[in-house]
Amino acid sequence: MNVNRLAWRNLWRRKRRTLITAFSIGFGVMLSVTFTGSGDYTYTNMIDTGASMGMGHVTVQPKGYDLKPTLDKRLQQTDALRQKLLVMPEVTDATVRLTGQAMFASANKSVGGAFIAIDPANESAANNLLLRSLVEGEVFPGSNGRGIVIGSKLATKLHLRIGKKIVYTTTDVTGEIVSDIARVSGIFTTGVSMIDGGLALLPIRSVQKTLGYTHDEATLIAVMIKDQRHAELVRDQIISAETGMPGMKGAAVLSWKQSQPDLAGVIAMDKSMNYISQFLVGLLIAAGILNTMLMSVLERTREFGVMMAVGMAPRTLFRLVMVESFWLALVGLVLGIIITAPWYYYLYNTGIDFSGSFGEDFSYGGVLVDPVFKARLFRESITAILAGVFTLAICAGAYPAWRAGRIPPVDSLKTI
Amino acid sequence: MKILTLASRNVYRNWHRTLVTTLAMAFACFIMILFAALMEGMVQGSEYQVVSMNMGDIQIHAEGYRDDPDLYTRIDDADGLVASLEQQGFHAAPRIYGFGLAAANLASAGVHLRGIDLGHEMDVTQLYKHLGKGEWLEASDEHGVVLGKKLAGTLGIDLGDELVFVGQSADGFMANDLFTVRGVLKSVSDGIDRTGMFMTMPALRELMAVPDGAHEIVVLRPDRASELAGATAQVEAVALGYETKNWKQLMPVIARMLETADVQTMIMLVITYIAVATVILNAMLMSVFERIHEFGIMKAIGVSPWQIVSLIYAETIIQTVVASLLALLTGWWVADYYAQNGIDMSSMAGSISYGGIAFDPVWYAYVTPEALLTPIVFLFIIVALAVIYPAVKAAVIRPVQAIYFR
Repeated sequence: MNVNRLAWRNLWRRKRRTLITAFSIGFGVMLSVTFTGSGDYTYTNMIDTGASMGMGHVTVQPKGYDLKPTLDKRLQQTDALRQKLLVMPEVTDATVRLTGQAMFASANKSVGGAFIAIDPANESAANNLLLRSLVEGEVFPGSNGRGIVIGSKLATKLHLRIGKKIVYTTTDVTGEIVSDIARVSGIFTTGVSMIDGGLALLPIRSVQKTLGYTHDEATLIAVMIKDQRHAELVRDQIISAETGMPGMKGAAVLSWKQSQPDLAGVIAMDKSMNYISQFLVGLLIAAGILNTMLMSVLERTREFGVMMAVGMAPRTLFRLVMVESFWLALVGLVLGIIITAPWYYYLYNTGIDFSGSFGEDFSYGGVLVDPVFKARLFRESITAILAGVFTLAICAGAYPAWRAGRIPPVDSLKTI
Repeated sequence: MKILTLASRNVYRNWHRTLVTTLAMAFACFIMILFAALMEGMVQGSEYQVVSMNMGDIQIHAEGYRDDPDLYTRIDDADGLVASLEQQGFHAAPRIYGFGLAAANLASAGVHLRGIDLGHEMDVTQLYKHLGKGEWLEASDEHGVVLGKKLAGTLGIDLGDELVFVGQSADGFMANDLFTVRGVLKSVSDGIDRTGMFMTMPALRELMAVPDGAHEIVVLRPDRASELAGATAQVEAVALGYETKNWKQLMPVIARMLETADVQTMIMLVITYIAVATVILNAMLMSVFERIHEFGIMKAIGVSPWQIVSLIYAETIIQTVVASLLALLTGWWVADYYAQNGIDMSSMAGSISYGGIAFDPVWYAYVTPEALLTPIVFLFIIVALAVIYPAVKAAVIRPVQAIYFR
């Protein structure tokens, strides 16, 4: 006997009921795609933005620097190390930077903040959010010299314009307070007030000189990778491949989760909220499937009795109902794909712009969030959604199927 | 015709279906009650975090200070202003601010000095209770300071350690002094965590050579339930010539987020209830179709279409009432549990910040009548909508065809 064909026909004996249940499955698919897709997109976006704020996806820095960033801790032989990192398969970019706390002062005022010293030859809009957000002027031309790029709020606070002078004060390698003068060459606006109001880019050679570092010393190497999900993997690869390097002595390798715990925290929380609510809606849809299948079994008691009386095994009946649930899930899935495809296409390409309702400084975990609601599904997420739909349908069908297999033939023939 | 008796018997006739449908409704409603209570708790908690930690309800600044925090842009008659505000029943506290560099061991960090008037500040903000370790400022300890959490980490110092401050004082000279760490705060906000260095007002006045005036006056309205906008206008009338803003104007992102919390609850409600609606629609549709024959006979013996509609509605409402009672009891119970114990998020997220404000990692629910009743009201509405089709279907059938149905 062809169980598949029988199940398919049974399903369509009650068109309306099947379609409504299938619709609820389809609705669940749409919801799941929207939420998972927007999560996949937003988290990747936030992590990549976060990485371009200075630390990279994977950070090589002196041991203990993340807990206590003092400038006596430093990496050595950074250029050789960078070359090594650049040839690793997943790595797209590695940049040597020198970060520290500083006080910035103009003629009449001073503000506390932090600096990132860079070599402009290795920096671009792609790996440095601050350069991507330049609104005025440009980055200083070389890694030497007296240029500085500052945030727009810092510029306002200190009454600075392009070409004006600024003094930065920090502690050097021995703990002495040192200061140097620089001239504003560019101004950036990221939208996060903490960054715009207290961060500056400086040329790395000049800072090394001021701090008493050699040309081969810095405080971090920011590594950018192709896919943010492989950050842990790349971190472990770097640890195992480069331990022998002289530059790695006293260095720690961190993934973005360790170097930006705030960001990791909000993402972990948002993710779990997202999945919990999807799971709850899934349970409700499963209740709908359970109800439909249970009713369809109970109303066919007599029919199942007859089938058993003519020699069908209880196991086959169980299988029949399970196959019906499976077909139902499949119909729901197809319906879901039909209603989700245009919606997903829209979210993928255009997205919904919420910038009007968010206002400025929409930061989450210290990282600016794209106010456009878009969705991009990872391949694993698609598999997870498909698996979820079928698991729910099969679980919900199990009890009705079990009941169908247990109907005593004689009793059921007597019921009307 | 005794519709209610008939309906309850009909509901019981297929108890399998009734059970699954009712449980699905109750479950959805329970989730929504819990969700609404948690959202309400988040709103209340965030408002507390914003208002009671640092912002107060209303702040007064000299014109232009917020855009350009200049040491010289001060509220001159701060003490008089505080006194007249307190006369009107408000709690008010003056503050003075300064900027500079703090250095300890080998580390240095830019700091935002915050001079606190100990006598007044404790009436306005709860910051003094929010210490991670150590203790709050003491008037007698002029060189004791309390640091923001991340600042203490950056400088790598602990309780009792010394730090050097270097900055520019109001008289144009170098301000320079040695301080001892008395306490370290828990997470408050990005700004305070990274750069906040609290000290007593007299100490900061001497350090920065600011003998009088204040940069900011923080005001707390006496009655939390009163209208914020009204209180702002009242303060504005007292503080003529200065800029008066309430926290919603100062932190528009947070204010908007809290205002949209309702919208989030609504979205969640709609999504969950669409799923529930399909369950109910299907269940009632099935129950109508398997009784077409019966309805035909009822109509043949003179039952009007309206009576049939009321019968089906009565059946649905019985199930909904049972479901909502169940949801109310369990939802209330669980929400109340989380209102007292909170959900500790710290294992999942070390620190949570949003729009620059750090949030308490322990998330408390807050049970309000709205949180309990909105999901129930909406459940009835969605159920009423979902049953229209089956009810109408049953009401308009032609008796003869229905009797011969199948």
